[in-house]
Amino acid sequence: MKVFSTTNEFDYSWEEVSTGNWRKYGPWNEKTPHVIAVDTLSRSVDPSTGILRTERLITCKQSAPKWLNTFLGGQDTSLVYETSYVDPKAKKVTMCSMNMTWSELLSVQETVIYKPSISAPNTKTQLEQTARITALCGGWQKVKNSIEQVTVERFSQNAAKGREGFEMVLEMSRKVFAEQREQRQRQLRKENTAHM
Amino acid sequence: MSASLAPECNDVKERYDSCFLKWYSDKFLRGNAKEDECAPLFKQYKSCLDKALKERGIDTMIQEAREDNRENDAEHMKGS
Repeated sequence: MKVFSTTNEFDYSWEEVSTGNWRKYGPWNEKTPHVIAVDTLSRSVDPSTGILRTERLITCKQSAPKWLNTFLGGQDTSLVYETSYVDPKAKKVTMCSMNMTWSELLSVQETVIYKPSISAPNTKTQLEQTARITALCGGWQKVKNSIEQVTVERFSQNAAKGREGFEMVLEMSRKVFAEQREQRQRQLRKENTAHM
Repeated sequence: MSASLAPECNDVKERYDSCFLKWYSDKFLRGNAKEDECAPLFKQYKSCLDKALKERGIDTMIQEAREDNRENDAEHMKGS
């Protein structure tokens, strides 16, 4: 097994990050073209805890190196199953995802947590990302090690791109939100003058 | 917003996604998420998506992933 783990801080409030998170793979993110589609499978709020649970299916363009893709059956897309849990009282987003493609051969389990940063809880958000990568196929240890090594390298490249792309989404969300607020205020002013 | 894996569902998915996003930031995060006003749109989107998942044989893969995910559910649905 190989473990990839990283932390990062975003200069945005937890509310902004947790909202922007739903837009992470939309058109504002130019850094993750390997994510082709994001579908919501189910969504519910637990009445006793208030936690929002969402199941999503993420479709990616295959990014494995050619030798590995051929070895594993040569598909052009891969599927990821993700469940997320948003606890609005604790201000915590937890996302767990696993690979559905090649799952007999390789297990990739990722956990991402977003919570308010300890240093500046109202303006900054901290990210913790951990992935556990295990080759399950029988046979040579050497082959298993190479598969895990390649996967962890791809994973860390994609994680870096994901962070960059998410920054773009957060910046755009803030801009759009500010514009909408301004528009509303302009509208209100107009209405007020009309009443005078 | 992102596309659906089934292009025929893109339209209704987009309408659902914007409804959800509005509900999430205006209601859910502010602690007044009593009713789910996006439910009718989700129903439409889901019936389109379920058909596509079945045709592609993905529905059984999802069932398996769900089984494997039970531990995560137990851990993260507890709340604070």
